[in-house]
Amino acid sequence: MSAPIPNIEDLKNAKPNKAAGARIPLVDGIEKVTGKAQYTADLDDHGAFTGLIFRSPYAHAKIVNLDISAAQALPGVMAVITGEDCGAPFGILPIAENEYPLVKEKVRYKGDAVAAVAAVDAETAQRAINLIKLEVNELPAYYTPDEARAPGTVDLHERRKGNQERSVNHEFGDVEAGFSEADLVKENTYHCAEVTHAHMEPHAALAEYDAERELMTLKSVTQVPYYVHLMLTQCLGMDSSRIRVIKPFVGGGFGARTETLNFEIIACLLAKATGGKVRMQLTREETFLTHRGRPETDIKIKMGLKKDGKITGVQAEVTQKGGAYGGYGIITILYSGALLNAIYDIPNVKYDGYRIYTNTPACGAMRGHGTVNIRFAFESLLDNIAEELGLDPIEVRRANLLTSEFETVNGLRGLSYGLPECLDWAEEASDWKEKRGKMPKNKGIGIGCSHFVSGAGKPVHWTGEPHATINLKLDFDGGITILTGASDIGQGSSTIITQAVAEILGVDYGRLRIIANDSAITPKDNGSYSSRVTVMVGNAAIDAAKNLKGILVEAAAKKLDCAEQDIECLGEVYRVAGSQDPGIPFQEVVNEALVGTGTITAKGTYFVPEAFQGTGKQRGAAVGSSPGFSYAATIAQVDVDEDTGLVTVEKIWVAHDCGFAINPLSVEGQVQGAVWMGLAQAFSEETRYQDGLHMAPNFLDYRFPTMVESPDIEVKIVEPIDPNGPFGAKEASEGALSSIVAAVASAVKDATGIEMTETPITPDRLMDAMIKREREEKRNASKKGAA
Amino acid sequence: MEVLPDFEILCPNSAEEAAQMASKKGESRYMAGGTDFMPNMRRGLEKPKAVIDLSGIGEMQSIEKTGNGLRIGASVTLQQLISADEIKSDFSLLAEAAETIAGTTHRQTATVGGNVCLDTRCQFYNQSEWWRKSNDYCLKYEGEICHVAPTGKICRAAFSGDLAPALMVHGAKVELTSAKGTRTIDLKDLYQEDGADYLLLEPGELLVAVLVEKLEGYKTAYRKVRVRGGVDFPLVGIAAAVKGNGTQLEDLRVGLTGTNSKPVSLEGTADLCGGSFDETGFKALEKLVQKQIQPMRSTFSPSHYRRKVALNVSRRLVGNLLEN
Amino acid sequence: MKSILRLTVNGREREDLVPQNMLLIDYLRDTVGLKGSKMGCDGGECGACTILVNDAPQLACLTLAATVEGKKIETVESLSQNGRLSKLQQMFHEKLGTQCGFCTPGMIMAAEALLRANSNPSDEEIKKALEGNLCRCTGYVKILESVKGVIESNEEAAA
Repeated sequence: MSAPIPNIEDLKNAKPNKAAGARIPLVDGIEKVTGKAQYTADLDDHGAFTGLIFRSPYAHAKIVNLDISAAQALPGVMAVITGEDCGAPFGILPIAENEYPLVKEKVRYKGDAVAAVAAVDAETAQRAINLIKLEVNELPAYYTPDEARAPGTVDLHERRKGNQERSVNHEFGDVEAGFSEADLVKENTYHCAEVTHAHMEPHAALAEYDAERELMTLKSVTQVPYYVHLMLTQCLGMDSSRIRVIKPFVGGGFGARTETLNFEIIACLLAKATGGKVRMQLTREETFLTHRGRPETDIKIKMGLKKDGKITGVQAEVTQKGGAYGGYGIITILYSGALLNAIYDIPNVKYDGYRIYTNTPACGAMRGHGTVNIRFAFESLLDNIAEELGLDPIEVRRANLLTSEFETVNGLRGLSYGLPECLDWAEEASDWKEKRGKMPKNKGIGIGCSHFVSGAGKPVHWTGEPHATINLKLDFDGGITILTGASDIGQGSSTIITQAVAEILGVDYGRLRIIANDSAITPKDNGSYSSRVTVMVGNAAIDAAKNLKGILVEAAAKKLDCAEQDIECLGEVYRVAGSQDPGIPFQEVVNEALVGTGTITAKGTYFVPEAFQGTGKQRGAAVGSSPGFSYAATIAQVDVDEDTGLVTVEKIWVAHDCGFAINPLSVEGQVQGAVWMGLAQAFSEETRYQDGLHMAPNFLDYRFPTMVESPDIEVKIVEPIDPNGPFGAKEASEGALSSIVAAVASAVKDATGIEMTETPITPDRLMDAMIKREREEKRNASKKGAA
Repeated sequence: MEVLPDFEILCPNSAEEAAQMASKKGESRYMAGGTDFMPNMRRGLEKPKAVIDLSGIGEMQSIEKTGNGLRIGASVTLQQLISADEIKSDFSLLAEAAETIAGTTHRQTATVGGNVCLDTRCQFYNQSEWWRKSNDYCLKYEGEICHVAPTGKICRAAFSGDLAPALMVHGAKVELTSAKGTRTIDLKDLYQEDGADYLLLEPGELLVAVLVEKLEGYKTAYRKVRVRGGVDFPLVGIAAAVKGNGTQLEDLRVGLTGTNSKPVSLEGTADLCGGSFDETGFKALEKLVQKQIQPMRSTFSPSHYRRKVALNVSRRLVGNLLEN
Repeated sequence: MKSILRLTVNGREREDLVPQNMLLIDYLRDTVGLKGSKMGCDGGECGACTILVNDAPQLACLTLAATVEGKKIETVESLSQNGRLSKLQQMFHEKLGTQCGFCTPGMIMAAEALLRANSNPSDEEIKKALEGNLCRCTGYVKILESVKGVIESNEEAAA
């Protein structure tokens, strides 16, 4: 306790750290730019065995014999495990746990994990894998929803007849009545290819089993260490208290890692079998095969509009090719329907969703979960109808705005709505009025809007606990340690939490350090998904900081001999408000606070207010409920090369309503990243299978853009302040993604007159459409000539 | 860690020594920049017992003037080629093509010889060992059928080097060395239309240099069609040299890549030259391209698209060169 | 088969016995212990392993360790000197040129190579130089701004 004696002037001039709203760099940015940041594959793995997975070459087959004896006999092989070593199934949704770390009885896709090996080195492990013999009876395999649900098909999973994982049939209001009020009703179909996260860091796990103490430690690339912990407990048959899950730096996730993945459990099973340490570093191809991305989707959508542009009703049928296992599938198909609402004022909505099992890698949650493909279809059809009614695309959206405090027909509530301002800015910044429909041939401009939840009102596992918890530790050294289970995967959650604490306490950043994601140290957190962290953990951080501040104010009052309400907290200095006395430095307040109690721990929690957990009045309405919805309006300007069908995106303008930007720099980065990812889906990303084999499991064939063709993305942050958000904030990482897909399709239409109803709008697809149009024009011309 | 085959690295100091090593060592492979060879080896497509590293051979690393042309050492890197003064002046087409190859970092080590000899590519071939095994391998490597054209008897992997068409337009010859001696042949005679056996090299024969002639009075251009702005291999790549102006076409040379198992030096262009070049000429050009290319299902992008684009781009490229 | 490899890594001379089939990325990460350079793909498609060999960028995942005998290798760990971030690192940090950070070491080294060869590149030249370095987080906007930030700060310093 030998803090330097502060200078009187310093005390007098003290000002609280205005952290909320500050453009600070990431708190872990220095580690990233120096190469010091340790990702899972960078951790100390001395003495670790190498784990490898034997994967199925069959798409759908019953296992007749699995012979691992030769692999086991190979010198240097420490363990070989199969489905027989897997006691319990796992899955992110308690109602859909239908996956084993290693398959039992049958394989369901090419790449399914059948057996795993741990050996002294990679070479030996590979040799052992090559010695495993799998004998099967092949079953009919299904690669499309139509094949999978045709009569007489073999079921992938026992209790899912006809391979339907889930159907959802909702109607809110009366859609037929809505359509009858409309002046124009149109229907169209849309198709979106399967896409995947392609995070830069390949999957990896490092598991260590302490056989003497019966303790398992897993370090993994997860976005959801808590769910991983639950599944390890279940699949290893261990008491949860004997398991420790640590998340090191994670090289992106985008949803891929929002559920426990098989290799994480396999690494632990191997560690247990060897009684030691096992490292698993999946190849890029295996990372592609592990998948959990956005499903291939067929959408049939019908919409009615009045002449003034007002939407009277929307009806959508969505079919998703789910892949071989459940994963988040049920949530994806529910989200696609629920989030037809909460962006525009739509009185009547009918939704039929079908999630179908197929013999391909399982789909799951991906940035913009469930909303992206349906939003592309919705916005495209809206544009189409508006055009026929002679309405400007921006005006038609203005005709359907919600109010800033709203409740939708399916019971979703919101307290802030920045979409009008987003539209105004995008229109002005892009010079829309001068450009739309007025640009030279093959150049065009288009708009799309979108929204997303800031966390799900109801968590996946309902336990009655708070939605988020933060612990703060303050000790003799005057340093404040923030303990959080929130997973920073590059989106910057650790930075936002640090800023929230700094803002409330007013202290310098140097006093704060954050420790995240070690189940032995940090409080439980549900994880980084559904854009929940800023709102939920941010609110918990504010609560914790306020509780700590209360303790400090009490101590300061005691020290300065005044009433607590007279204490003015200036962050690094506490003083009696309005007095001549310059006050006392933070360390002195801490010293006083420690008297009689020692180390201080302050906790903060957050519960989503009940009214934002879904009203319960409507069936299925808990899905989609959130403490706040973000909004985005995005305009894209494109240039189409007639010779090649290549589209150059010249510029993107995106306005995003995130309630309040706790860190505007970070918000810009998130919005740019989201828009760019949507752009990649719109133009080039696509997963295809041939006879169930992934045709693009690498970064050459799975084409996400390079820096060369990536456009400038200008971001406007719109801040309507949401009463539920921390300092008014809502999410910033997902909402803008789906708007761009529609925006570029709209721009391509403006440029060429062709409405592309399929993503990605690859050069070949656009070329096909241009050729088709040319032929039609010729045919029409010759018809006219004949008449 | 990747498991690479257990090989030894040999470091010859001359092309002759390299060829001697290759003839003595069975199952050896030459390695220049390694940017194509290494990924293939990492995927189990190459399992050499010896890797002959060509980087120490000085004679293969220089660009020299020869009368009316250049002798470009096979180990000259693409980056060297792009920035060489000799290239900038009269061989800008080569630099233009080289700049489109892979990424900037690849081009620091990737070589002229490597790109000329670039292994043919196919979506059923450039995959992992597990993937290819799950698909019963293919005609190009360890398998019985070509998944691109299952009824055929020939591998349809596509040649995807960007330099070859540009070099062909420059009338390139290649200097080859083997234990038996040295020979010089036309570049276009280095290739044949068989994806599994696309190079007409003798066992152990090494490409030492490429010889090109100046194109006096020609205007040239290279256009590469690909989905992304960088890194990608060509879906179609077209090099053209035009002598003429406005509507008068005196001479035309066209080379194409990405469409066949070998780079295509377009034949029959002479018939289009020597007079006014109008829509009939463009149609005839399209017909030549149409007849001589054969894009197959070897890439993620469909073959009919690559065919259509080859026609469109040939027409555009020649039209633009004539106009300007 | 193993052989002795002599080279300079981040200014320090080394001599190691390495297998001839060892990749440079594995040598750097496992033998030298420099984990900054990353492996992001199955071979040369992402640029996360970009390092400098005699000042030029090179993909460590496509390089056999034995072939850089006698050369000067620099990894991201070499840039920060005496506790100070290099200007490029500082800009990537301040301007959010890094999000998840996995592509960052390779991205920074590719940019470092560019700026050593060309102190005042245009936007197009920057994009071209970094074309082989994939990033999945940023949309590249702030990466471009980070590299431009170095050029601007150099100009300010010169003015």
